[in-house]
Amino acid sequence: MAELKGSPGAMAAMPPIPARVQLMAVAWLRWRLFVNAFVRRRPKGPRQVMGLVFAILLRIFLWPILSIMVLGPVGFSGFLAWELISEGHPRELAPVLAGLMIFWQFVSINGMNIATATKTFDPSTLTRFPIPFPRYLVLRTLIGLLAVSTIVGCLASLAVAVGIGIAQRELLLPALMAMGAFAVMNIFFTRMLGAWFERWLANRRFREIFSVLMATSFIFVQLAVPSRQAVVHTHGAMMPWYMRLAHQSAASLGWLPPGLAAHAILSGGQVLTVVVAIAGLLAYAGLFLAIFAVRLHKQFLGELLVDSPSVASKPPARRAKRISKSTVVRTDVAPSRVEHSLISPIIAALLRKEFLILKANTQMLVGLFTPLLFVFVLGHGLAARHTEYFLPTALGYVLLGLVGSFYNVFGADGMGVQFYFMAPVRMSSVIVAKNMMQLALVAIQVTVAWSLVVVMAQHPIPLSVQVAAGMWLIFFVAANLAFGTLRSIQAPRRYIPGQSRQLKQTTPTNRTSALLVLAVLLGGLTMQAPITYAAHYFHLPWLGAAVFSVLAAAAVGCYVLLLQSAESLTMKYRDRLTEELCKTG
Amino acid sequence: MTPAIDTTALTRRFGDFTAVDEVNLTVAQGQFFGFLGPNGAGKSTTIKMLTGLLAPTSGSIRILGEDLGEKSAEIKRQIGVVPEGMALFTRLTANEYLRFVGRMYGLDKATTLERTRELLDFMHLADEPKKLIADFSHGMQKKLALAAAVIHGPKVLFLDEPFEGVDAVAAGTLKIMLQRMIARGATIFLTSHVLEIVERLCTHVAIIHKGKLVAQGSLEELRAGAGRLSAASQAASSTLHAGPGDQSPGVQSLEQIFLEIVGASGETPSEQELSWLS
Repeated sequence: MAELKGSPGAMAAMPPIPARVQLMAVAWLRWRLFVNAFVRRRPKGPRQVMGLVFAILLRIFLWPILSIMVLGPVGFSGFLAWELISEGHPRELAPVLAGLMIFWQFVSINGMNIATATKTFDPSTLTRFPIPFPRYLVLRTLIGLLAVSTIVGCLASLAVAVGIGIAQRELLLPALMAMGAFAVMNIFFTRMLGAWFERWLANRRFREIFSVLMATSFIFVQLAVPSRQAVVHTHGAMMPWYMRLAHQSAASLGWLPPGLAAHAILSGGQVLTVVVAIAGLLAYAGLFLAIFAVRLHKQFLGELLVDSPSVASKPPARRAKRISKSTVVRTDVAPSRVEHSLISPIIAALLRKEFLILKANTQMLVGLFTPLLFVFVLGHGLAARHTEYFLPTALGYVLLGLVGSFYNVFGADGMGVQFYFMAPVRMSSVIVAKNMMQLALVAIQVTVAWSLVVVMAQHPIPLSVQVAAGMWLIFFVAANLAFGTLRSIQAPRRYIPGQSRQLKQTTPTNRTSALLVLAVLLGGLTMQAPITYAAHYFHLPWLGAAVFSVLAAAAVGCYVLLLQSAESLTMKYRDRLTEELCKTG
Repeated sequence: MTPAIDTTALTRRFGDFTAVDEVNLTVAQGQFFGFLGPNGAGKSTTIKMLTGLLAPTSGSIRILGEDLGEKSAEIKRQIGVVPEGMALFTRLTANEYLRFVGRMYGLDKATTLERTRELLDFMHLADEPKKLIADFSHGMQKKLALAAAVIHGPKVLFLDEPFEGVDAVAAGTLKIMLQRMIARGATIFLTSHVLEIVERLCTHVAIIHKGKLVAQGSLEELRAGAGRLSAASQAASSTLHAGPGDQSPGVQSLEQIFLEIVGASGETPSEQELSWLS
């Protein structure tokens, strides 16, 4: 065994630790965490090739989407600023900058919520190291600069300045200065909000409610995001409500950061005005930094940000009562219940467990019903034009939000999955119980969506279309249940209820799974369109019903076959199931 | 001599729940100190407060004679911590993690690299340099957390359940390291549920129960104190809890002392409970 040469006495007279050393150490840590995010377990043989192919395909598919998400707001901001100035609408600049500021904070806070569930680095853990508070404040501020929202926000601010400069060259310099100060102000505003939200998001219930609010607001944003025409070309009563609100609030924005930035840019070259407006922006930045520092100092001193403290066990007397009561239930009541039950006691117990997990997770529960909002919205546009497509589209959208969970049925069980292998239960019973709970949710959502469609449709929906939609529904659900259950066994992924945004795909298996899921979902959803069109084109209204009936029968057959082989399949993949779901890291 | 750890009326409340209640704790320098208590008694909360990870609601903490609230950065350089969840950055390798920790404690690059190599070698973690901490076993993670806690040569070491989930071989390695640190003058404050280990390693013990410190002193002092408890209770306890780990007749084991003190508040199961078990 190697000997340790260091001795505690060597720490006797210690010079202060230079700030540069600790800042560099944290920067290096962030770099290594970033690099190591690409380190994965490598499978061998054909699976390695398959994993590589899917990894490439996934990147080809995802990178353009991510690029659009980043470059879209940047390009839009720059173009809008250019058009406002060149078309002679400088008064609209302050509301546009207010919109940019709100968008910045929205992306930042939502990103924080995701990071709460998926983060690999919690900067508050740095408090255990010998760092003085001012250095901790600098570190936390610098770490925040790496956030996607900050990068996008800064680029969008630069784009606004460049857009204004292109439209009117003499405004370039004040625009660059003002937007620079505006970006600094936003960075500290984000940090301040982030520190407070971090405090609130530590509470699970708040996190759940907040996630639902965010999901709902995403739908709202999809509907309310201003188009270029709306901002530049509409006037008076033709304006959307949000634009009217922006116009009305333009005057009150004068002393707020967006108004100050717009004022500095449009001051017509008056140096004093520019300086005062920028000083105002920097004063806001200072204020936000001070509030951020106050919050952070509490954290630095050891504020506990957890859901709840550990609580001592219950008094024994109450425990004894509870045990004796449960014994009575077990011996006297349970058998009579079983006799009258339609389902086996094992499936009933499993169903009850699934229901309790669902009931305890507000985020999951309410999140399941948010697609219905979109069906309501969808009705206003699509129903007015193509009644025959309304029902299939609405059902498709509702199911899209639901069937994802079919592909990871053991995820929320975590370590509890071992119980299924230890207890005298058949795996097919476990799967049936889980699928029954999922089907119940599907049934509720589909019923509500179908009713909404029938009420909102401007013309009666033909029976043939409804039967075709029903058959497609059976096909789609059964096919996804079969394939999803198979993938749940082959490629499980640990999922923590209450932290449902597990976005990371950490292994090649999961990447494969993600792509296969995507293919099945999109394939299943889009196949409605050509069949519905063919039925319409060839005047064969019952074509869809016939085709989907055959597919539905085949899909149900596949599901039954899968259930029959569930026992052997789970035994074959039990190592993977327990390894993935029981890991603690 | 200035105590290594000294708390006065240390209290922490979470809403209406008092996790740690007016704890006065004194640990002399060079002591191997065991901090015991049942689940939820307040051990981890206390250790978090002593290491600056959690603010006390009231009371004071002095480490090596300095007030933790006033000189937290200076004190943190003198202490090492293996916290409850180990606080590892699991997407780093062991080497990367120790290098980061060394630099954060102000060690120069050469010393950090040298101690990293020595510690990994000592803890038998040097064989898989590219393996991420996330892929380590629980025992390996414990050893790494301990290595990180001592890389800067702390004078006071706080260990929260260091032997939990650690196999006998790894536990042996940890014990050797801790005993060498004690021999060189360090102070170690550990919590553990494995009372045999505490009895073997620690010279002094404190017991916390429902947030209150109910016993403190050397093992001999605790034995003497426990002996003064009611004879009837002692006899019953000895009959009930005597086992293979017991020492010579007449000398109480730490387990017996612990059960006597903590069990005095009474959680003895009735005979009717679980009567259906064969």
